[in-house]
Amino acid sequence: MKISQSDKFNFDFNSFKKSTYVLGSLVKKNIRAQYRNSSLGVLWTILNPLLNMLVMALVFGELFGRRLPAGIDYPVYVLAGNTVFGLFRMTTSTGLECMVNNYSLITKTRIPYYVFPTSNLLSAAVNFGFSFIALIIVMLIRMPQGVTFHWTILMTLVPFLPSLMMFSLGLALILATLYVRFRDVKHLYSVILTLWMYMTPLFYVPTMLGETAQNILKFNPLFHYVGYFRQIIQVGTVPDWKSHLICYGCGIIMMLIGALVFNKNKKTFILYI
Amino acid sequence: MENDTNNIQIDETKDATLDPISEYVANMKTMEEDDSILIDVRDVSMRFRLPAEKIDSLKEYFIKLVKRQIKHKDFWVLNNINLQVRKGESLAIIGRNGAGKSTLLRLIAGIMQPTTGTIRTKGVMAPLLNLGAGFDHNATGRENIFLNGAILGFSKKEMEQKYDGIVEFSELDKFMNVPIKNYSSGMLARLGFSIAVDVSPDILIVDEILAVGDAPFQKKCKNRIQQLQENGATFIVVSHSMATIQQLCNRAVWIGDGTIVQYGDVNTVGNAYSDWCNSK
Repeated sequence: MKISQSDKFNFDFNSFKKSTYVLGSLVKKNIRAQYRNSSLGVLWTILNPLLNMLVMALVFGELFGRRLPAGIDYPVYVLAGNTVFGLFRMTTSTGLECMVNNYSLITKTRIPYYVFPTSNLLSAAVNFGFSFIALIIVMLIRMPQGVTFHWTILMTLVPFLPSLMMFSLGLALILATLYVRFRDVKHLYSVILTLWMYMTPLFYVPTMLGETAQNILKFNPLFHYVGYFRQIIQVGTVPDWKSHLICYGCGIIMMLIGALVFNKNKKTFILYI
Repeated sequence: MENDTNNIQIDETKDATLDPISEYVANMKTMEEDDSILIDVRDVSMRFRLPAEKIDSLKEYFIKLVKRQIKHKDFWVLNNINLQVRKGESLAIIGRNGAGKSTLLRLIAGIMQPTTGTIRTKGVMAPLLNLGAGFDHNATGRENIFLNGAILGFSKKEMEQKYDGIVEFSELDKFMNVPIKNYSSGMLARLGFSIAVDVSPDILIVDEILAVGDAPFQKKCKNRIQQLQENGATFIVVSHSMATIQQLCNRAVWIGDGTIVQYGDVNTVGNAYSDWCNSK
């Protein structure tokens, strides 16, 4: 028999393999919890982004739609932006609370801590998938208006999604660590998230802003993720190396910082939650 | 020369006054020397560092940090604990509320890490510190068996094999497709316990969960644990019920104020603890 010292804190491949099943179970639980007791159930995951897009298109379509370059359809533009921002928002805002909300599991079981933020990320990724289906539906509906499908849509899964997921999870890990100590982070972050949403061109078109404002927007990583996604969906060209560098650079750096912060503090989590 | 003899004399007197605990510690073998040791707790202390006043807003924290006013109150839950559990032993941890029993159990289970000292274990461990941790109350009994199994660290395949046995043990087969929010608390506890004990661990760690369900079910639980013991499982339990402890365990450790007060045969330690409680 192997002698071991408390394995909850040491990461190794074996424990990772073992935790994939619990990871999957938690994701299933999260998804189920979202649309519980609604008669349409999981169909809402597709309907929700569709209806949201419809509202946006109705309210802002006239105002911003005309500012888009020729061939870029406004409903698709809005939905593509929201799909990307949705994954980011869901991962970070649920990730923020995950350590505190899973109090009973953390103090009573040996599930490795990283399972909780990761399960939130994967739940958000599943939602991204449903939103993506909604996006395809809208694109099909808008085909008479000149929407076309490009092969670059395949780049969504790789290389686009991993970079966005790394960025979101990295930030979620930082927020989760902070939230264990400071409960006001939750309120602060909800404000930041609203600001962040307006700082990302989700329903407006950045070219209608002044040059200074446009330059400020470029410091927002989400600006680049949203831009990347729209390019592969709507324009149909492969983004240049600079876009890849920014998306993966931000993703890897955020993930490294997040993992570092989380790992350094995880032993004290149990004392504060 | 004179100095040397003096030293020896001092050592001798020290040895003679050695209390039973220190003697036990002095004679402890390492896990490598003695193969039958499954749990090796060495010089373990656990400190809870709590802020003297509760600071949970960022603003307060930074103001106090700048003013260097963050005061910590150190609270040593456990102090220099040395303990070994051998294969096939059944150990009861007894003591008053807040003495550090559950903390010791969680340290052994690997849920917390000690501030100082080391804890080493050998073999498959099943910590049953909570029944039905992470139950999803809107999901059915069946779904929860799989969810809880995953949380306890089993694979899907293992759970599929265990499923029938768990349902049979819990006697809840009529309710497997009902959301567990409709279960009574006794039924919930039974479901949780049935999942938890359907394991064949080398070390079984139990925290005050034997008193679940009705009398027939409690009897069944005790039988199950005795069966595991007969199969050679090492058993550690925290309990306040002397009857349960004396029925299920052969060793006991009495913890008071974070240190070991007495360690030894379950009847000796149990009686000493009962006498102490009565004298209070």
